[in-house]
Amino acid sequence: MDKFLTFTIAGLSTAAIYAIAASGLVVTYTTSGIFNFAHGAFGMLAAFAYWQVNQGWGVPVIPSVILVVFVMAPLFGAVIERGIMRGIEGASEVVKIVVTVSLMVALLGIANVIWPPDVARPVPPFFAGKTVEIAGVAVPYSRILTMAIAIAVAVGLRLVLRRTRLGVAMRAIVDDRALLQLNGGRPGRTAMLAWALGAGLAAVSGVLIASEQTLSAVTLTLLVVNAYAVAVVGRLRSLPGAFLGAVVLGLAESYATGYIDPSYALGPVSLQNLRTAIPAVMLFVVILVQPEARLRAHGVSRPRSPVRPPSQVTAIWGGIALVLVAAAVGSLLSAPDLNLVSKGFGFALITLSLVPLTGYAGQISLAQMTFTGIGALAMATWGATGSPVGVAIAVVLCAVVGAVVALPALRLSGIYLALATAAFALFCTSMVFGQSEVMPGGSIQVPGLSIGGFEVTNDYRQLILFAVTFALLGNLLVLLRRSAWGRRVAAMKDSPVACATLGLNLTSTKVGVFALSAAIAGLGGALAGRTFIADDFGLTNSLPITMLAVVGGIGSVAGAFLGGLLLGAIPIASTIFAANAIGIFRFVSMPVTDVLSFTPGLMGISLGQEPDGAAPQMAAGYRAVGESVPSLVIAGVGGVGLWFATRAGVITKWSFFAALLVFVVAVVPLLPILFAPDTPEGPRPRRAATGIWLALGLLVAAFLPWADRISSNGWRILGIGVFTFLVLRVAIGVMGVVPESLKKVEHPSPDELGLDRPLSRADALDAGRSLGLDEELMPSAVGAGIGGAP
Amino acid sequence: MSSLEVTDLSVRFGGHLAVGGVSLRVDGGRICGLIGPNGAGKTTTFNAICGVITPTSGRVVLDGRDVSKLSTHQRARVGIGRTFQRLEVFSSLTVRDNVRVGLEIRKGWSRRRAPAPAFLAGGADISPVDEVELILQRLQLTELADLPVGSLPTGQARLVELGLALAARPRVLLLDEPASGLDERETVDFGNLLVDLAGAGLGILLVEHDISLVMRVCEHLSVLDFGQVIAAGDPVAIRSNEAVLAAYLGAPAGDDELVGAAAIAEAAGHANGHGPGRGGAS
Repeated sequence: MDKFLTFTIAGLSTAAIYAIAASGLVVTYTTSGIFNFAHGAFGMLAAFAYWQVNQGWGVPVIPSVILVVFVMAPLFGAVIERGIMRGIEGASEVVKIVVTVSLMVALLGIANVIWPPDVARPVPPFFAGKTVEIAGVAVPYSRILTMAIAIAVAVGLRLVLRRTRLGVAMRAIVDDRALLQLNGGRPGRTAMLAWALGAGLAAVSGVLIASEQTLSAVTLTLLVVNAYAVAVVGRLRSLPGAFLGAVVLGLAESYATGYIDPSYALGPVSLQNLRTAIPAVMLFVVILVQPEARLRAHGVSRPRSPVRPPSQVTAIWGGIALVLVAAAVGSLLSAPDLNLVSKGFGFALITLSLVPLTGYAGQISLAQMTFTGIGALAMATWGATGSPVGVAIAVVLCAVVGAVVALPALRLSGIYLALATAAFALFCTSMVFGQSEVMPGGSIQVPGLSIGGFEVTNDYRQLILFAVTFALLGNLLVLLRRSAWGRRVAAMKDSPVACATLGLNLTSTKVGVFALSAAIAGLGGALAGRTFIADDFGLTNSLPITMLAVVGGIGSVAGAFLGGLLLGAIPIASTIFAANAIGIFRFVSMPVTDVLSFTPGLMGISLGQEPDGAAPQMAAGYRAVGESVPSLVIAGVGGVGLWFATRAGVITKWSFFAALLVFVVAVVPLLPILFAPDTPEGPRPRRAATGIWLALGLLVAAFLPWADRISSNGWRILGIGVFTFLVLRVAIGVMGVVPESLKKVEHPSPDELGLDRPLSRADALDAGRSLGLDEELMPSAVGAGIGGAP
Repeated sequence: MSSLEVTDLSVRFGGHLAVGGVSLRVDGGRICGLIGPNGAGKTTTFNAICGVITPTSGRVVLDGRDVSKLSTHQRARVGIGRTFQRLEVFSSLTVRDNVRVGLEIRKGWSRRRAPAPAFLAGGADISPVDEVELILQRLQLTELADLPVGSLPTGQARLVELGLALAARPRVLLLDEPASGLDERETVDFGNLLVDLAGAGLGILLVEHDISLVMRVCEHLSVLDFGQVIAAGDPVAIRSNEAVLAAYLGAPAGDDELVGAAAIAEAAGHANGHGPGRGGAS
């Protein structure tokens, strides 16, 4: 009985912390419509800040708490809302999720840089661990305090939401943002206050947890998954629901600790890690019992730029070019570089798995590395000799597991799929990859593929295998996108409700897409031909995949490749820049590798500015090249020529890199303009001068002794980058014509409508739509008919 | 001839009874109107008929088959089609691909020739590709076929939405304010199109605020107010119905307050007599 009571009290105390964290999540979600995946990271940052103030600078407990919880955290939340979240308000759900996930990863990276994880940072418990005896059980004061704070938060939030102007405004935003604004409310300021409040609550939970556990940035950040599980009970919107969920989760975890013997096992599966899997399981169960989401008619929004699927011919040539370039570049690289590049291509294959799911269908997954892990395990188990049978099993297994995992969440909105996949990733980390039976010693060797006499025995062959697979799959995806299936999926992304009323089964279509995506990720694992450690398959490694895939421009296969290369480039850059540091004056000096650790996060956050990703913009620049035969010939001949020159030892490898960069970035995109036939009214480029300048730039890049003159790799790369940029800018200046892709795209402003002719009612409705006004408000103002009576 | 029968349909949102016991009947070949002030429950009724929301009670029967338990996409497959008050089209696809998607969802992967619906080629065997082109022709969208729908003005996008719905070959079509966003000429053409479609055997239930259009094309009207049918009958009878005038004006018709009533009367007069006209205040 004492034991039961002890664990009940411990559970309730944990529940109190979850409840506080979850209420912060709910408050920001309901008022800004953005689900803050970085909520845990906010709490983590606050915990570290508390440690810094209290332990590092020796400020007493109470002023420290006040400083962190009431000053720093709310300020931080407000700044985040103002600086980042406001920009993505009208963005798609995928962009919203990716931006907050990126924020989480960036904050994690920053925290690891400021407070390196190799130092222990104990935070003493409040009241120095003193206890009071209740019904024969010693209860620490700190636990009572925690529960008291949770109750205070519950009562306080209720009062704020029901009784204050701020609370009324916050609830009004949820109902109708535009209406609140029309009535003189200030949704922007209210959202900022809501984020400040949310960050404050995150800080409370973070500081409370920190006082009970050792500080670990990753653990604290991922505790947010517990808060998700709890918030989902209230459908992410109800505070009482979240409190109920918190009690259930807190008690379940506590009893699991108390009553499940670590030596228990279900067959080969040890239950030692069960406690860590409980939040994930709970999240699943709650999602499973949620009723299906109601379809809503939103009215269409105009696409920012409709992504034209490339023609199959373009895709085939792209595939061939990719394989040739990979073969050529690979043959020039030294062994360690080759290994890194081959890994980068492997990542490209995994980001490719998100093209159908995120790019075509607008759904999101945060567990792609988990599927990669399942594929890798399947290959190691059933294809130990490198047999293609193992690959086939891996692909089928991942498709089936993917379908089962996604099915419950796909009935609901996109945010639930993100949550469910994150939970799945955590579940697999503890219950699959964390099992010593499954991954002895925490690592696994995926055998190299051996198919029809082609055996992957070295990194070069691995690189070729990846390039060929990517080219084939990329072509398959383009084929699918242009098929009836692809149109249907694109249609579903535009308007689910219209698809349903046309007779499309939304859930089964989405499950199919998810299974395809999981299968491709699994294929990436099965073909990897390298050693993985359990950590590779964790949530923290899946997040960058999704983030950078979206940054690259997930609507297209090329974007996925770009995303994969960005991801692959980070470890490469880390090795190249290992000896460099970025100094700001002399006070702060950061090793470049540290900066790189949070770069993906910052790149993801930048999506707020360019929600379509990088690839569509780049593609626009290169599309013209494909349409001009002389440009294509020169591009092909030039590339091959550079490769031969390097092979034959005429130029060094660094010169090859420099010349290739100048060629690809500065020369090739300008070629179509130089070869375009003269038009009477169009501007005439100065062809000869530009050609001479570009050739000069190329020669200088190829023969400048980069390797001898600049000793550090990092500075060399920077130098080459700056040089390339200069060549391009000067060339554009010499030519006198600005390429289309560099011009700013002008969207017609609704203000300019009707200047050339009288406004019709249709124009008014169009203007209303592009201004985001509700169409239902319009007829009485503009139209006639019965409703038009004044 | 097909028929859609809605019996005693109620939808309750929390404590608010949005639709309370609505009964309707739409027969093939006829255009029925469903009118009423904003918030009367017209769109909610549509949502309940096509399964986007689950009604609290009531039955929806299509050609003698109770479809009340079917999901949205299953109802679409048995022949209930609809459009939306706020445009729902596939804005990143071209006009042609929009119509094609509608067709492909219905037919799956089949490329076989099949008899065309009556409103197209009058029963001749056509391939899916032909069917798409015929629908585009029928709606005069052929010239726009390769443009993305997102770039079209509302009036043309409305036609695309109708084309989508027609591609699914509904037996009964529910149109939710299809003329909002159309100019006067477009509205007249649109009305003629509806009459033609009904002439080919399609049953149409029309929700519309443009009362002159309603008066011109509908054979039968039901008037909703506060979720209840307050009047039903042919347009001429509805025009003089006291309860309807009261619902629109908020009070029994007085001397000077006849703007709305005048709107109805004027519109109906136009419709019966001398071609197109738009009633009410301008």
